[in-house]
Amino acid sequence: MQEDYINIILADDDEDDRLFFTDAFDELRITTNVKTFNDGVYLMDYLNNEESIFPNVLFLDLNMPRKSGLECLKEIKQTDKFKDMAIAIYSTSASEEDIEKTFVMGANIYIKKPNDFKTLKKVLSEVVTINWQYHTNGLNKDNFLLRL
Amino acid sequence: MPTRILKKSWFIKSIFFTSAFIILLIGGITYRNIDDLSKSSELLTQTYRLNVELEQIFSHLKDAETGQRGFLITNDPLYLEPYDAGRENINYSFAELKELSRNNPTLQKNLKDLNVLIDERMDYFQKAFRFSAVGNYNDQNFKENFYKGKKLMDTIRLKIKGMIKSQNDLLKKTQHTYESNLKVTPIFLYMVLLFSLVLMFFAYNKIIRDLKEIKASNEQLEIFKESANQSQIISQHGNWIWDIDTNTFKYSDNLYRLLGEEPQSFESTVENFMKFVHPEDAEKLSREIEKMITNKDLPFVYYRIIQKNGTIRHFKGYGKLHESSDGGKKLLGTITDITDEIDNLRILEDRNLELERNNRELSAFNYVASHDLQEPLRKIQTFLSRLEDKESSKLSEVGLTYIDRIKNASTRMRLLIDDLLQFSRTNRADNVFEVSDINELLESAKQDLAEIISEEDAIINSDKFPKINVIPFQIQQLFLNLISNSLKYKSKDRIPEIHITYSKIKASDDPEILKPKKPYYHKIIFTDNGIGFDNEYAEKIFVLFNRLHNKDEYSGTGIGLSICKKIIENHQGFIFANGKPLVGATFTVYLPIT
Repeated sequence: MQEDYINIILADDDEDDRLFFTDAFDELRITTNVKTFNDGVYLMDYLNNEESIFPNVLFLDLNMPRKSGLECLKEIKQTDKFKDMAIAIYSTSASEEDIEKTFVMGANIYIKKPNDFKTLKKVLSEVVTINWQYHTNGLNKDNFLLRL
Repeated sequence: MPTRILKKSWFIKSIFFTSAFIILLIGGITYRNIDDLSKSSELLTQTYRLNVELEQIFSHLKDAETGQRGFLITNDPLYLEPYDAGRENINYSFAELKELSRNNPTLQKNLKDLNVLIDERMDYFQKAFRFSAVGNYNDQNFKENFYKGKKLMDTIRLKIKGMIKSQNDLLKKTQHTYESNLKVTPIFLYMVLLFSLVLMFFAYNKIIRDLKEIKASNEQLEIFKESANQSQIISQHGNWIWDIDTNTFKYSDNLYRLLGEEPQSFESTVENFMKFVHPEDAEKLSREIEKMITNKDLPFVYYRIIQKNGTIRHFKGYGKLHESSDGGKKLLGTITDITDEIDNLRILEDRNLELERNNRELSAFNYVASHDLQEPLRKIQTFLSRLEDKESSKLSEVGLTYIDRIKNASTRMRLLIDDLLQFSRTNRADNVFEVSDINELLESAKQDLAEIISEEDAIINSDKFPKINVIPFQIQQLFLNLISNSLKYKSKDRIPEIHITYSKIKASDDPEILKPKKPYYHKIIFTDNGIGFDNEYAEKIFVLFNRLHNKDEYSGTGIGLSICKKIIENHQGFIFANGKPLVGATFTVYLPIT
């Protein structure tokens, strides 16, 4: 029964980060279906495929070869069928510029990659259990960046 | 000065006309006097001749009488000779007298009277002859006739005497007027001459003085011309004058030099000048010159010229209409060689570009370095936490200590990278000043530090701040850095206390501000009761990566206060530190009042 899973996708070019990401979900007691892509082009190819399953939450790294996270975000937001997809920016930096830009472009939350595994697990479990409807309504620039 | 001379020329003019008038006057007076003199001498001659003729008439009359008497006594016709001659002579004299009395009616009337009297006397002579012819000398009628003749003779004598007297009187009177005239005239003439001499003296003086003035102003003009010449050479200027009325041009010496030619070596015409103009600019300049000729005005124009040796120079031109006082119209133009200026500008622009590029590269490098360094570090830390969680039971005591050490080192590295990132972002150029509530900024900074403040039980009290025009997040960063600095270097034996005071000061009253850029400043003082520092390091602590303490004792990166300094410099302010070991430190911040 695939419908009971929370579908999660991560697009990140860094192999270690993908490993941490999947490890963290493995250790969390949430039934998730995690898919990872190496860059934006693979991600968009998948999303544009009619048979693909849409994720509940999409985690986007910003710095990726071929197609960056910002480009993916822009494409997704321009496509009607992806409109309601929750998008979490998942980046090493938390520069004001990046935060501002992705907020304006319509991302739902901004996560700075934590530097220890415990925090990572905490952040991810937080994000996948967010009530997006509620979160998006009260979204502003101050609570856009996830703070724990 | 020349206009003054021109204005004063009326003086010379009036003197000239006065002198001319005086000369005419003198001429008139002299002519009148000479005329008087000749008239008077004529009158004298006339009077003399009149007197002579009258005397002669009387003398002829007497001759006639004597002749008559002689004839009457002797009856000898020989005695009748003088009588006859007398009669004739009297007629001659009368003719002469008539001629002389032509312009004198009184005299004419007197002569007529005299003539009547003489005729009457002659009548008596004739009557006497008639008596003598009959020889009746004792006749009563003869005697009476003779007596009447004698009486008439007396009347004639009186008449002639009277006439001579009246003529003499007239002469005397004329002579008198003439003499009195003659007496006054020299004095008058002398006075007039003297007056005109004085006038001439003034005129002479004036002319000499004006000449001197003209000479002086000419000399000044010459000096001015020469110094203008020199200043043209030194400032690389040249000028031209276009006489609109005659449509001729005149170029200054230095204009030729700017073109790389000998002064006045060719005719100053537009055509000759255009030969030097860079082909690419020729059309533009011709257009401007055409416009200048119709509008009588030349706004700033930029063009290039090529000297004969091939050197390209940049020129800037300008012209303005000048109308002289006599209505002559001239267009005065100036040309400046701005090649050096343009070269310098180009060099400056290049340097600026290079500097900008360097700056951009540096900040990009700084950002990338800090940013990209974070990634591997984050992984090291994450793997460490994985290792600790999963594998710690398999490690020995020493192994665990090593992991601890690696953890500490990587934490420190993260701190350094964060601070460096912060430092590289503290730029003025991309940040906007806005009037901000400083109290709010301080409050936010305190909130960011809430955890450590409550941990340390720190006391922070502050004055109320006004609104100040600042880059808000930088000032918040400044508060954050200074407070965390105080908390970091707290004294171990007392609760940390930070006092923040505010005042408005005049730059000239504050000895700390040596080179103020604005007259008034906001002054914010942070005072803590921490470990303080030796004042000899008061400047050093703001230098990047400079630390006063061993990193094992205090966890600073040596960047925080450098950021503070950079922020304050972005605000055109000043920051000073003051410390007393074991007592505390004071940081004083000055922000200009704009």
